[in-house]
Amino acid sequence: MGNTLNDVSLSATDSLATAPLGVNARPMLEMSGIAKSFGTNQVLRGVSLTVAKGEAVVVIGPSGSGKTTLLRCINMLEDYEQGTVSVDGEPVGYALDRAGKRLRMGERDIAAAREKIGIVFQSYNLFPHMTVLKNITAAPIRVKGVPRAKAEVRARDLLAMVGLSEKENAYPVNLSGGQQQRVAIARALAMDPKIMLFDEVTSALDPELVGEVLAAMQQLARDGMTMIVVTHEMSFARDVADRIVFMDGGVIVEEGAPDQLFFAPRTDRVRQFLKRYNDRYRI
Amino acid sequence: MLFDPNFIARLIPALLEGAEVTVELAVLTFLICLVWGLPVALMQAMRGPVAWIAGSYVQIVRNTPLLIQMYLIYFGLSMVGVPLSGFASGLLALCLQNGGYVAEIYRGGLQAVSARQYEAGRALGMRPWTLYTSVILPQMVARVIPPLTNQAISITKDTSQVAAIAVMDVMKISQVWVESSANTYDVFLGVALIYLTLTTIVSLVGRFAEQRLAFAA
Amino acid sequence: MKTFMPLINSYWYLFRGAGMTLMMAGTAVIPATLLGLLIAIAQIFGGRVSRSAIVTYLFVVRGIPLLVLLTFVYYLLPLTGIDLPPFWGVVLVLSVYYAAFMSEVFRAGILSLPRAQWDAAKSLGMTRHQMLQIVIFPQALRLAAPPFVSLCANLVKATSLVSIVGLWELTMASREVVERTLAPFQIFLAAAVLYFCICYSIAAYGKYLERRILVGH
Repeated sequence: MGNTLNDVSLSATDSLATAPLGVNARPMLEMSGIAKSFGTNQVLRGVSLTVAKGEAVVVIGPSGSGKTTLLRCINMLEDYEQGTVSVDGEPVGYALDRAGKRLRMGERDIAAAREKIGIVFQSYNLFPHMTVLKNITAAPIRVKGVPRAKAEVRARDLLAMVGLSEKENAYPVNLSGGQQQRVAIARALAMDPKIMLFDEVTSALDPELVGEVLAAMQQLARDGMTMIVVTHEMSFARDVADRIVFMDGGVIVEEGAPDQLFFAPRTDRVRQFLKRYNDRYRI
Repeated sequence: MLFDPNFIARLIPALLEGAEVTVELAVLTFLICLVWGLPVALMQAMRGPVAWIAGSYVQIVRNTPLLIQMYLIYFGLSMVGVPLSGFASGLLALCLQNGGYVAEIYRGGLQAVSARQYEAGRALGMRPWTLYTSVILPQMVARVIPPLTNQAISITKDTSQVAAIAVMDVMKISQVWVESSANTYDVFLGVALIYLTLTTIVSLVGRFAEQRLAFAA
Repeated sequence: MKTFMPLINSYWYLFRGAGMTLMMAGTAVIPATLLGLLIAIAQIFGGRVSRSAIVTYLFVVRGIPLLVLLTFVYYLLPLTGIDLPPFWGVVLVLSVYYAAFMSEVFRAGILSLPRAQWDAAKSLGMTRHQMLQIVIFPQALRLAAPPFVSLCANLVKATSLVSIVGLWELTMASREVVERTLAPFQIFLAAAVLYFCICYSIAAYGKYLERRILVGH
């Protein structure tokens, strides 16, 4: 077994070994049977995933396993052929009629559903023509109709949280990648989403900038935000996740608490993946 | 005789009078195209017959000479019972043709905005109107100013073709003066200076707009 | 049927006009291209004197309408005593005018090559001449091909202006037919269709090149 993961603290194992879903709690996110193809290439082959309120789920797996596509299906940035998604009990892309038939929701309803889902992209995707503050307030003001003054107060709080208070009048082009990504996190949070999705948000960053972004995400998880994180940062996964989901070939191969998945994987596929990962990063 | 002061004293007011018509035509054409190009560009970005119609319009006006379009409107429309003045025909032809070019400029500007920007806006729950007015179009504006400046210069020069349908712009007036006098050089210099001044003003205004509207990049 | 009689009687005349248009544009494009290339190279690599001479030339040519230049060459050439047949006079003006735009296209092609290409060529010990010939031009000309082709279509449209100074080509031919038949709508429409066929084919070829180059990269 790899050395790099051996120093993990085992104290939390017991409480997290079982899914932290309370008996009566309604799940924050429910995906069932998502299937998605690009042409003849089937990327997702019936993925079902339930995330409880306040839970942090980290999705890992080799590239091309469908992790990113899965995230993008949650808020309908990608359409999918089968399955349904609901957030806080309300459907996002497709609703089921009484006969159980899938009906695509109207664009207006999809847009409204997206307000509840924050997403942070690998390439930041800040709006280059707006200052940092404007980036954060644009959607609350224009989409939710929040008064400007109120939106700005909230934006400044969020900027303080991600440690960028002094940058509110800067333009994205003048920020480092790590700073841009923290603004992107604040921008998504400004919509008061019920769930946050992180799509390989540190992959485009210089190594020395990764820490500041992960720290912001860790803080968020500690504050009880429901989140799904697609990442290659295994130590982050180990530290922050309530549950790890391992995907390969468009399906969930294995899921479990971090310690179980990292130290006692049930499938060969996960064992191979971790071995290769550890071999590469052993110093 | 070159640089005959008496001749020049009579020539300048006449040319300036023509320049006024030239400026009127150029400004009107540019402003109309600025507006008219946008729906055409947005239609081209759609799917189905709407895009086909807009695309065909752009191809047709861009691939036929302005002069033929002017003749068609000035002589052709009056034959089928829609007589237009030379000025109106010239303006219409200038707008039709340059509207096609401006639409292409807008389309290029729209395409230059990364698909990720659309995605980021949609992920924040923006509906098309908000997405376009607060995210896409402001970024497009910054990109289209240099090509729009070139188009404005081109429009200014293109207005000279209305001379062919009897509009008394600076070009037509210069032709009249050349034919009725021997001071060809003076007339040529005067007319060249007027066009150079106008196009220089256009490019200075364009550069100013570029500086003002470009976000910190 | 009666509406189109003028067309049926004169289509061959219009075709011949189109042939003349093609010949004129085809003749002008060769010196325009060579001159354009030369100017682009001189502007990038030349000394201060040649560069400021070129900047002045570009400023003047881009700021004055082609029609002004055509008109005054038509009136001025006889005055200078140079005995140039009108066809060649027009080809001269078209080449000098379009060379300015060609040079922009080539210059942009050369300058848009990434620095790494120059560095790589230098690191292999190439002289400047070798660099240009082996590394830079083959790539730059590929990049410049699509805008070059659309300039050619533009040149075809621009030849219509020579009819204003009395040369015979498609536009002049259609005007003559209109005077005979008094059917401006049909005839000018037919001329527009002929121009469209020529320019659209050229532009389509440019699009094809563009697609091939994009695939190549």
